[in-house]
Formats: sequence, C-alpha cells, structure tokens
Amino acid sequence: MRKILLGTTAVVGAALLAPSFAAAQEAPTVRIGGFFRAYYGYTQQSARNSTTPSGLANNTAGATANLAQSSLTVGGTTVPTTESNVGAGAGEVARLSKNDFSTDAEVHVFVNGKTANGLSYGAVIEIAFNQQEGRNIVQQRASTGKTTASIDEYYAFIASPTFGQIRFGDEDGPVGGLMNSGVITNFGTGGVYGDRESFVTRQGNDRTTTSPGGLGDNTKIIYLSPQFFGFDFGASFAFNYGVGEDTGCSSNQSSGWCDSSYAFTGASNFGIAAAGPEMSVRRNEYQGALRWRGSLAGVGLSVTGGYVGSGAAKELSPLNVQRSIFQPLGVWQVGAQATAYGLTVGAQYEHGTSNFFWGNPMKGDRPMDQFFAGASYTVGPITVGGNYVMQTVEGASRTAYGYTGGVLTATPNPAGAGLMRRLGYGIGGNYRLAPGLDIVAEYSSYTIAERGRDLDPSNPGVQDRSTAKVFILGTRLAF
Amino acid sequence: MKRHLAAVAILLPLLAACGDANQRLVNNDEYGDYRNGRARNRPQGASAGLVVFGVDKDREAREAAAAGTGLSVNAYLWRATLDTLSFMPLASADPFGGTIITDWYTPPGAGSERFRAQAYVLGRQLRSDGVRVQVFRQTMERGQWIDSPVSTATNSEMEDKVLARARELRSQSAAR
Repeated sequence: MRKILLGTTAVVGAALLAPSFAAAQEAPTVRIGGFFRAYYGYTQQSARNSTTPSGLANNTAGATANLAQSSLTVGGTTVPTTESNVGAGAGEVARLSKNDFSTDAEVHVFVNGKTANGLSYGAVIEIAFNQQEGRNIVQQRASTGKTTASIDEYYAFIASPTFGQIRFGDEDGPVGGLMNSGVITNFGTGGVYGDRESFVTRQGNDRTTTSPGGLGDNTKIIYLSPQFFGFDFGASFAFNYGVGEDTGCSSNQSSGWCDSSYAFTGASNFGIAAAGPEMSVRRNEYQGALRWRGSLAGVGLSVTGGYVGSGAAKELSPLNVQRSIFQPLGVWQVGAQATAYGLTVGAQYEHGTSNFFWGNPMKGDRPMDQFFAGASYTVGPITVGGNYVMQTVEGASRTAYGYTGGVLTATPNPAGAGLMRRLGYGIGGNYRLAPGLDIVAEYSSYTIAERGRDLDPSNPGVQDRSTAKVFILGTRLAF
Repeated sequence: MKRHLAAVAILLPLLAACGDANQRLVNNDEYGDYRNGRARNRPQGASAGLVVFGVDKDREAREAAAAGTGLSVNAYLWRATLDTLSFMPLASADPFGGTIITDWYTPPGAGSERFRAQAYVLGRQLRSDGVRVQVFRQTMERGQWIDSPVSTATNSEMEDKVLARARELRSQSAAR
C-alpha cells in the first residue's frame, strides 16, 4: 500500500510540475492591500455590569501576584490601594457604559508569480492588529497594548489550471469559510456574524457565535480543485489547533500548551478554544466540501455540502493514565444560495458533534444543530440585508472532570443535562461612497438561554438567559 | 477507513485533471472570506492594492488596452469625443496632442446663433476627468457675430456625453 501510495504521489507530482503547454514566466509581484474600519457601537447587554465578585472563567489565568496587590491594613483598618482597584483579579466588580468606539485594521501582503511552465504561485500574509482581546498587564508599568501586531492568516499557494490549487499555511478550510454557500453576510458588518463582538463583553457568554470562519485558521494543508461542469471541491488536513512558527510550549516542561500534545493534564478544560492563545483539544482535523455553482434562467446558484471531523487530545493524569473524554468533532454542513437582480437569499444547516464554538464535546453530550438563513439586496451603491441563526447545543456539560490524588474523577453535572439555545439576528446596510469605501449601519441581537443554569455568575440570582444587542454605525475602507 | 480516505485523496485530483473545456482554475477571489466580510470589499479583488515590488502586469494590460496604437491619448475617449462632436464640421483633430477643434456650426432652425467646440483628451487613462470640452457661442446682432455666454452646464453635459459614449465603446470591445 505504502509503495503504491508513494508511486502515485510521484506520478501526480511529475504531472503537476511538467504540464504539456508552455506559458510565459512572470516575475513575482508584491502587493500591499488591507482594510481599516472605525465604528461607533451602542451596546445593550444583560450581563454588562458585574455586581457580584465571582471566580475566573475557565482557561483564564489570574493576574500575577505583583498586580493583584492586597489592600493595606493600616491600624487595623483595611484600606484599598490604587493598585488593588485596577480590576484584573477575581473578586472585583465594574459598571460599563453602553457607548464605545472600535477601530481595526489589517495590512495584507500578496505575492504572486508564475513559473515558465504555467504554474502560478504566491503567498498571502495578513497582518492584523487585534491579537489581544484584553489588556495584558504583566506588572505595573509593563503591559502589552491591545493593538499589538499579529498574523491573522498566512499561507503559500501553488496553482495549476489542470490540477487546482494547494494552499499550505494558517488559513480557513473548505468548510470553515472558503467554500460555504448560503451564509449571507455581505451587508452591514455581516449581521449576526459581523463585528458585533468588538463591543460585547464575555460575561454572560453571549458573545461567541459559530460562524464558518470560527472554525479557525490553524495551520493546515488545503487542496482546492479546478472547477469542472460547475463543480469544485476542497479538502484540508491539520494536525492540531496550533498556528504559527513555534511549539507553543509555555515552559521547559512539555504541557498541554504545546501545539502537538495529544494527551495532557487538564485537557477537559479545552473543549472550547481558550480565549487568546489558539489552543484547543482538536487534533487531526480534516475538512471536505463539494460545491456547485451555475445559473438557471438567469438566477445564480451556489450549493455546498461539507464535513469537518477531528479527533481530540486525551486527558492524561499525573500518574500517567491516559483517558479519552471527548467525542470526535464531526459536523455535516449543507447550504445553498440564489442570486438574481441584486437579491441574494441563502440558508445553511449544520448538524453533528460539536459544542457551541466548534469544539469537541464531552462524551455523552448531545449533538449540535444549527440553522442559518439570510438575504441581502443590492441596488446601486446600497446593500441592505438581514440574517438569522438558531442553534441548539449541549449546555453545561453532563460531566465535570477533576483530579483527586492524581486520579481523574468524573462527576455528573448536578444540574443534569441542559439544552442550550442560541438565537441571533442582524439587520444592516451599507452605502458605498467610493470603490472600497463604505458607510455601514447595523443592528444585531444574540441571545443564549439554558433553563436553570446561571449563565452570569457575576450578578446575583440565577440568570438563565442572556442577551446582547449592538447597534453599529461606522465606516470601512478596503484597499 | 484510512485506506479509503487515502485512495479518495489520490483519486480526486486525478479525476479533476481529466476535465477538458469545461474545466477552469478557480480564482482566489471565488473563495469565501469570513473575516466579517471586510476584505471582500476590495475594489478589484486579488489585483487590488499597490504593487511595491515587481511589474504590475494587470495595470500594464489595462493601460495598453486603453492606449490602443498610434494614439498618445486614451483611444476610447478619443473615439468618443470624435463621435460626440461629429454633428459639427471638424476644423482640426490632433490625436497626439489630444485636441479636437470644430468649425462654427449653426443648428437648423436657429439662424441667429452658432456654436463651436474645443475638446481636450487629457491622458492615457479612461477616467472621468480625462476629457475637457469647451463650447463657444456667438449670436447675430445687427449683422455681426457677437460672443455670447454659454450656459455653464453645457460644457459638463458635453463631457458627460463623451464619457457615456466612451463607456459604451469600452463595453463593446470588452464583450468581443
């Protein structure tokens, strides 16, 4: 088998590198492009203020001891210091305004060239400036700003009209953004999948959506076929959830933070990707999608079916006992859209084992179902549209894992299995002032609900429903 | 299962290679971009942006197409200007300097006024400010032609006509 496989690969390689036709070689060009956007946002969020000190969320580290300075005790009286009010540790509360501005930009570098035998090749490097969601305060007078430069996506590609395209690098997969149909987001900032997250806080859990791009741009190798008879397909593979150059290990001792770890202590915390470092238990991820595009009676049609699957890292006890606690990720996706006379309508349905953020669910947890529908209408420089998403997914997992004396213990969730519902919609529009320059306005709302579960422990009482509504008005320039 | 997957992974590209006239390379612009739809608004897709290294072939091609041959001004604008002003007798046309000057012309039924136009095609690019039209008007008063003002909108209306015609010509040649 192995010999046959290698032989076939060699034949494919030879055919790929030596096409029968000749084409002029083109020296590579380097282009600079990108976007800038600035928005005003008005946010109404049920979990915007924190009134009850609560513990830190999963996967977030407490501030260093240097920052979380204790109050001073002067003559038997406790006096809070300025530093103790900075608000980075657990146990502090805050009230937030509804108004804010948000800016963001990316600078994209495009390299394109063509070899003498007709292969086009190149690379795309997208430099972003939103690496950090929160302020990273290492110690007093030593902090990293929120506008630190980082990489959104970068990959190299090689393409031939005969054999299609191979992309290799940090990039979305065929199911995770490249080939989807029916996900209508071409109005406003994208409606419910738009830039609303720039204004919504994580408290109350109603910030994250399961958009195609949320599947992640972990380092992968992607094959994208040529289009024949309207059909094209794509497939991708990634070893893990990691991106970028280095190993990801945070110290001299290998740990779960290392990209290539496949079993580690504390894996149960990472079914949902950690906020910040691109870190999750997803391993050996593969995606496949088949797309058809064509037109019938003047109506442009696009239909996509796809699947994403992956394994998961295992829990490894300090006593070196390995145990599988996650289900494999496996989500089917089908979507379709139609366009005529400026009107585009589309819908997408997804079903499979996943939690609310494209993560591996715990064993025994229910599958995810998600329905998305959207429509947009473009007339002259104006585009208006709306979209809607509805998801049902496992809520608080049925099982909690912990260690007692180095032995993994599974505790059934005392609240029992809860169904979480996530509902959102967005309506918006944009007016094109000039090519690439838009004024955008948008309203979106996203609600999560899970009967009996307190979604917002930072406020008193049990709040089993949490909503964030965002109005955005701003401008966007693509160049 | 793994063996089947490997077989599929090898077979599909080979199958894809068996296409013929119905096969084409999918452009990079045709893949979705779900970073909130932002980069999709790039004005010209993958050929947008500033070339900082290498030769901009797209731009060269665009300019070559616009320039045509033997003209030092934009061919579409030049042709469009000639077409638009063709109802008047032509006094001179210089395709290298980009100037078109007509002779005096009296519209039928307006015996006491006459018009003359000068047009300048300003460059190789097909752009809205690439043509300038100046219309002159004289009226007959007591047996003599006297210069008279032209409505300010006339010049820009003529320019608009030229631009519309240029667009027409360009779309015709693009469709070919």
